[in-house]
Amino acid sequence: MTVLAAIRPDDWNLPLLLHVLGAMTLVGSLVLVALSLASARSGGSRAGDDAGGSAAGLRLGYRALLLGAIPAWIVMRAGAQWIASKEGLDDLDEPPAWVDIGFMTSEPTLLLLIAATVCAGVAARRAREGGRAFGGLNTAALVLVAITLAAYVLAIWAMSTKPS
Amino acid sequence: MYDTLLFLHLLAAFLLAVTVVTYTAVALGAPASGRTLFVADRCWDVGGLGTLVLGIWLALHLDEYDFFDGWILGAIVLWMAATGLGVRARIGAEDVSAERAPLMHWLRTVAIVGLLVLMIWKPGA
Repeated sequence: MTVLAAIRPDDWNLPLLLHVLGAMTLVGSLVLVALSLASARSGGSRAGDDAGGSAAGLRLGYRALLLGAIPAWIVMRAGAQWIASKEGLDDLDEPPAWVDIGFMTSEPTLLLLIAATVCAGVAARRAREGGRAFGGLNTAALVLVAITLAAYVLAIWAMSTKPS
Repeated sequence: MYDTLLFLHLLAAFLLAVTVVTYTAVALGAPASGRTLFVADRCWDVGGLGTLVLGIWLALHLDEYDFFDGWILGAIVLWMAATGLGVRARIGAEDVSAERAPLMHWLRTVAIVGLLVLMIWKPGA
């Protein structure tokens, strides 16, 4: 596997770049979401009072999910499918375990991302309107993002170590 | 050994992405909290050191690569450029009067994408 990783046909490089770039942006966005939502829970903000800080954190978390994480997921997944096709991995009856782990972690987590986006969006709207509770929705989005991040650490391990 | 090094090297690279994405949000006008920027900066510290040390370790560990390969030296140069630009972007994020901070951030982002391109294409390997 080491030699395979070192010597790769050139036409695999572009899909691999897209896949890795999408994955890095996805994970980076999700950590930003987690930090923003956690910050909103404690009401912390660089500028503003507690309520303003919560609203700003929720808005940033929501936008990072909607404009960062979900588009990055699409790029990551499209790159994965492209390179799997190039390598002929999608034609195999029994693909290697690391490919299975990749599919098992990527596809269900899109649903989690969509659910987290809805929760964060509704919470951000409630925070903006003021006076309505949003803590539960914020916590729900935070938990969903944390689960997704844990799944992605597993995926990074599988992609790098390639267990058979 | 190789697998563990590669996993940790990749994990470190993902930490760099956390910093780049966070500072991108700030450059686009998002109000990130001080705590968020603090974590992003620590991700850069750990990720930067991790990618460099583990990357060199990987290059020395594998017979296929040599430390003096052009793409490895190019990656080290880009890493140094990204680190220097990152320091200026960090100072700019703390001091709103630093007008060139977003530019430093975008240049750092280009350097990181360049690093990724070098890691994948490995020209001359």
